[in-house]
Amino acid sequence: MATKRQTTPALWNWRYLILRRVVQIGVLLLFFGTLHWGWSLFGLPLLSGNLSASEVLGQVTLADPFATLQILLTGHGLQAEVLLGAALVLGVFVILGGRVWCSWVCPVNLVTDVAGVLHRKTWRKNLFALPHHLRYTVLALALLLSVLIGLPAFEWVSPIGAMHREIIFGLGLGWTALVGLFLFDWLVVKHGWCGHLCPLGAFYSLVGRHTAQIRVKFDQSTCNGCGDCQAICPEPQVLNLKRLARDGQVLSGECTNCARCIPICPEKSLAFGWRLTQPGSGSVPAQHRLIMKEDNP
Amino acid sequence: MELSRRNFLKSGVAAATAMAVGVPISRIASVAAAETEQDWRWDKGVCRFCGVGCGIMIATQDGKIVATKGDPDAPVNRGLNCVKGYFNGKILYGKDRLTQPLMRMTDGRFDKKGKFTPVTWDQAFDEMAIQFKKAYEEKGPTGIGVIGSGQWLIQEGYAMTKLMKAGFRSNNIDPNARNCMASAVAAFMQVFGIDEPPGNYDDIEYTDTVVAWGANMAEAHPVLWQRVIDRRLGHSDMKIVNITTLRNMTSEGSDLEIIIKPNTDTALLNYLAREIIQRDAVNQAFVDAHCVFCAGPTDIGYGMRATDKFAFEAEKDIQAREVEVTLTRDEAIGLGLDPEQVHTIKQANAATADRHWLVGFEDFKAGVAPYTLDFVAELAKGDAEESLDAFKAKLMRLADLYADPKRKLVSFWTMGFNQHVRGTWVNEQIYSVHLLLGKIAEPGNSPFSLTGQPSACGTAREVGTFSHRLPADMVVNIAKHRDITEQTWKLPPKTLNPKVGSHITKIMRDLEDGSMSWVWVQVNNPFQHVANANHWLKAARENDNFIVVSDAYPSISAKVADLILPVAMIFEKWGGYGNAERRTQLWREQVPPPGEARSDLWQILEFSKRITLAEVWKEQAIPGLKDEGFEEGKLPDVMAAAQEMGYQPEMTLYEALFETPENKAFAWPDPVSKGHDNHTVKHLGVDWFVEKALFEEYAGFGRGHHHDLAPFDVYYQDDVRGLRWPVVDGKETPWRFNAKYDPYVKNGEIEFYGGAMKELTTGNLTGPTTEEKTKFPGKAKIFFRPYAAPVESPDGNYDLWLCTGRLLEHWHTGTMTRRVPELHRAMPAAVLDMNEKDAEERGLKRQDAVWIESRRGKIKAVIETTGRNRPPRGYSFMAFFDESVFVNKLCIDATCPISKEEDFKKTAIKIYKV
Amino acid sequence: MCRTHPSEPSAFITSGDSPIMTTRRGFIQKTIQGAAVATSGGMLWSYLVIQNARAEPLALRPPGALPDADFNALCIKCGRCVVACPYDTLTLAALADRAPLGTPYFEPRQIPCYLCHDIPCKVACPTGALSPTLENVMDSRMGLAFIDTEHCLSWQGLRCEICYRVCPLRDKAIRVETRRRELSKHAMLLPIVLSEGCTGCGICENACPTEIAAIKVLPAELIQGKIGDHFRMGWKQADGATPGSGPGDTWKGQMDAAPAQGQAPGLDYLNEPEF
Repeated sequence: MATKRQTTPALWNWRYLILRRVVQIGVLLLFFGTLHWGWSLFGLPLLSGNLSASEVLGQVTLADPFATLQILLTGHGLQAEVLLGAALVLGVFVILGGRVWCSWVCPVNLVTDVAGVLHRKTWRKNLFALPHHLRYTVLALALLLSVLIGLPAFEWVSPIGAMHREIIFGLGLGWTALVGLFLFDWLVVKHGWCGHLCPLGAFYSLVGRHTAQIRVKFDQSTCNGCGDCQAICPEPQVLNLKRLARDGQVLSGECTNCARCIPICPEKSLAFGWRLTQPGSGSVPAQHRLIMKEDNP
Repeated sequence: MELSRRNFLKSGVAAATAMAVGVPISRIASVAAAETEQDWRWDKGVCRFCGVGCGIMIATQDGKIVATKGDPDAPVNRGLNCVKGYFNGKILYGKDRLTQPLMRMTDGRFDKKGKFTPVTWDQAFDEMAIQFKKAYEEKGPTGIGVIGSGQWLIQEGYAMTKLMKAGFRSNNIDPNARNCMASAVAAFMQVFGIDEPPGNYDDIEYTDTVVAWGANMAEAHPVLWQRVIDRRLGHSDMKIVNITTLRNMTSEGSDLEIIIKPNTDTALLNYLAREIIQRDAVNQAFVDAHCVFCAGPTDIGYGMRATDKFAFEAEKDIQAREVEVTLTRDEAIGLGLDPEQVHTIKQANAATADRHWLVGFEDFKAGVAPYTLDFVAELAKGDAEESLDAFKAKLMRLADLYADPKRKLVSFWTMGFNQHVRGTWVNEQIYSVHLLLGKIAEPGNSPFSLTGQPSACGTAREVGTFSHRLPADMVVNIAKHRDITEQTWKLPPKTLNPKVGSHITKIMRDLEDGSMSWVWVQVNNPFQHVANANHWLKAARENDNFIVVSDAYPSISAKVADLILPVAMIFEKWGGYGNAERRTQLWREQVPPPGEARSDLWQILEFSKRITLAEVWKEQAIPGLKDEGFEEGKLPDVMAAAQEMGYQPEMTLYEALFETPENKAFAWPDPVSKGHDNHTVKHLGVDWFVEKALFEEYAGFGRGHHHDLAPFDVYYQDDVRGLRWPVVDGKETPWRFNAKYDPYVKNGEIEFYGGAMKELTTGNLTGPTTEEKTKFPGKAKIFFRPYAAPVESPDGNYDLWLCTGRLLEHWHTGTMTRRVPELHRAMPAAVLDMNEKDAEERGLKRQDAVWIESRRGKIKAVIETTGRNRPPRGYSFMAFFDESVFVNKLCIDATCPISKEEDFKKTAIKIYKV
Repeated sequence: MCRTHPSEPSAFITSGDSPIMTTRRGFIQKTIQGAAVATSGGMLWSYLVIQNARAEPLALRPPGALPDADFNALCIKCGRCVVACPYDTLTLAALADRAPLGTPYFEPRQIPCYLCHDIPCKVACPTGALSPTLENVMDSRMGLAFIDTEHCLSWQGLRCEICYRVCPLRDKAIRVETRRRELSKHAMLLPIVLSEGCTGCGICENACPTEIAAIKVLPAELIQGKIGDHFRMGWKQADGATPGSGPGDTWKGQMDAAPAQGQAPGLDYLNEPEF
């Protein structure tokens, strides 16, 4: 097992991580470059605004669908432009998988990933447990409060908004919120923010839950149940082996398609692939009984 | 200002105590601050900026100015200031203040194409002297020049005049005041035979009417404008009229605004004269007793060069008018000619434009006869959107105000009159109107020329730092005046050069054509302010010449220079200014100059140590010199005569002209200093009081000759806030030419005793008809001057008027005020004020960046349609303070042919989007 | 290889159900607890948001910004107005700035709004927080200038009036009035702000030459007073009494609410025995 692992070139193991960082930083860089260095294409500003709403080449508006939803819930009408922009973004993530946003675009992911690694390497303790589904409560609260107080509730406190705004438009004190998040994730609850609290993550978990076309596929025939994938997964509950075995793929909307599990799997049992329409079709040998850890306490 | 550390700690302790005993902290802090202020030294000074001459008080501590205030005892301003004056203390402390001599060098040696490198004063003066001698040996006294200033201190202007005229025997010294009020001077001399206004600022409090002609007083003379407004608030019958080419801040406070076309002021004044005669409003007794009538030639050109050798291609059509011009229809009518015929005239009197002769009242009457209401209204109406009838009504109202014998009236004017291709004429015309009515030389009745600069009167005019002048209204081309000067200065006869030198525009032209190759600039930024700058920038940088600029900050002129000498600014030296109402004000050195900066006076005297009499008082070639008693084209060798007087050939000019036994008698230290330093004396290493000696020597010219200044020490008395000359028997003279106030009036109640040009031939409007000259002592002249069209007007290509000028926030080229962050922020860049409809027509909106192009160059700027000035259709305005916009690249360098003052107000431009 | 760790009680999760949900009682208990946490958390959260929205009423918004409540709801904090501003006037509020987090505002003493005629910030706004109905930038109302006359150079008699001359709406937003100084023969030229015309662009505040600006722009509601509806300034034509808006009508409502039997106003006081 160990020898097998070492045969894979290190860089190849890091491919998805590198790609994700390139995309995350690239998006920020596009915003930043357009604002500060006047980046343009055909004389049109490349990408102005930020992740809340933006304009591509001075033509196409994009908008954060969750923010848009909150605004609509405050009882304010919105211009068609921003509604279309939100729909466009929503459409993309409905196809790709909602939480692709979280691990491939969201800048806070850069921070929480580092905190996650540190937690794994140093601390390894949670001060208390938080249920994963707490975020849905937070999401529900964000929507409810938007209605009640007439302000887009999450947008007013979002550390995600603070971070990308401040990276793009210049630093204020928003980094303090990030330090808080970082410490929380590192020392208090592992993956505390992204995995338990973030209502935007919750929102995206619901988006594309049934429609996401790119999924992590599971090959039960090679899996030896070592658990490495769960150990590294920021949302380990999505790698529930029983369901994996049943579905032949990760179906949970909470999977962020971060692909950490793919290179770490010593048996190469996990890989990206198109969503299977028939649960379990093809890859799952139904007769094979998987040995589970809890079977051998 | 910052509290010193000790006081800071003290106020910290005070705060702690305050909390303990419950006294409000702010009060304790103010007590601590008051304690700090106990160490301040307060002394009187004068505002550095405009010609109003507000008194200020300066507080200093540890060699720094810590505060200023408007002097509550100064009669001009009574404690007030404008926002520039509010920052008097800050102009000394700009971040890029020059503190050491800088010379263009390559590999340690002077190189015209080299980079500025710090050098010692000795290196600077050595190279300056080498270059001076090179130019002087090669080209003689005409090959060198000095551009001075109406902001020169009295002593500085005097020392430089003496060095140039007596030492270097060159008349190529001219101040920037040439482009400020030379037209007013020329008219004063021609009309009264003596310079400067008869009245004073107090006229405002006595008058019923103020008419501003081409004077945006609200911005250019801010504190004086407060007095005008106050008079209106306190006097129910007071009327204010603004005659202008565009709506400006002065319009806001006016009862009547008359917007005219450029140059039609000449027609408007003739209309007034005609109306006064028609209405029988002439004060016949006054005119008979005190006035004569005069006329002069009209084919006088526009002060441009008669050759197109140096003209840009685009300039040539306009330049050709210096040789020959076809009269416009209106000009023909104004001259009483048949407008249906084409009149092409040669500019035959361009060089003799100041000729004039006596005519009769009937001639005058015939001259103004064509200037009917219909003709003038049609010609002069400047706002196309105003109805002709409304405009006519305004002209009649104006005539009512002037002609009403019971109404006292002050006419104020500034650059609209002076910067004018017929500037001398229009100045003379306003006197004509006042003289016809007898509204002059008495409280509340006054034609009053407002000067722009703090010492345009005190230094440029009274000291006579012009290319044609000597102190106390004397001129170089009159033998008697030279004799008096030579005697006063103890010079051998015929030391002084009788040929009038180059005026400021001509100095620039001389640099371009190579006839001058050494120029020293002081207290002035001529490469930014002289019109048609592209020519002069190129000439200075690319021709073989040496330009020295004494400056406090890196101005455009400093950038153009080969050698920059860092100067002490106003309160860093002893000196004096004279304001527009003849008020002379002196101050002490308050703080030391920074680094190696030294006063202009020190620089003049130090440089004079490097030239010996043998080098200058030998025979000198002066091309074109023709004067009685002089060999043609030559100044004689006067060294022999000098030796008889006790001079030695190897004596320096410093020893011969400045360190004279008389001057050395004024000892330093002097009780008048009251503990103040004198860095000029210190660095000269002498024990005589240079500024006092030079002041007293200079004052000797005027005392007993209508220009009496009080003794130096009197101006420093605590109860004196400047004195209006002539100061006779310790009393100042508020109104001149009036026996009630002026001790020089010997005959009758009114006497225009000025002595210049009071003997003339007689003739009619077309020319003199007799050779015989008539004397008319004690009288003033009423001139007939016809309407003349501007040399350049908008046409199909250059389709918009451009007028330049000042605004309240910045002083002239902004060298000082742009260093004050607050003023810079208030007005960071010059904009082109234009009419909204003109902008629309060109597809432009306010804030659009445009190219502004004239025949002479183009600049980029932003347009403004809702700015402080609201020009009528076809007209635009831009202030000249902003070196990054540099509007004077566009302006035409045409001048009044008599006064040689440039016309910055009438350039044709076109604008298009960047 | 075993990677179990004490902190990960169930390193290999196979079931989505957590053990605490096993009993009915526990479930109800947890539901109530959860609801309590959610409610208190939600209250804290909304308190934070509302506080943040109200904390800094000093913020000046870009031209066309809707009234605070609507603006705060609609602004998506995307910063496109900031990008669009050619003068770098606008900033997105960072944490602890003077405006609610992430929303655009400007400080005129730093950079004022120069009132671009094409209003690029408004054009860039995707949500309409900057009202698309604003056509003429001179109609925008970002704030209102006011003058601290104690520290204004002009009000102390100096010739300044820079605010007046730089005002793009001179005579509509700032006027100069003259008054005799009495101390000397000089008049005072006093700038006065006219709220009807003032856009709150802050060019005056930016240009003011005093050490701390003596003319400042603040949201109008912070500084503007209002006289009672019951009194009209008869000498002002616009306020002249017209039928239907006179004082009688305004009072009518109050007087019409006839008191119930035995409850005449003032009875309580009148019937008190003590004097």
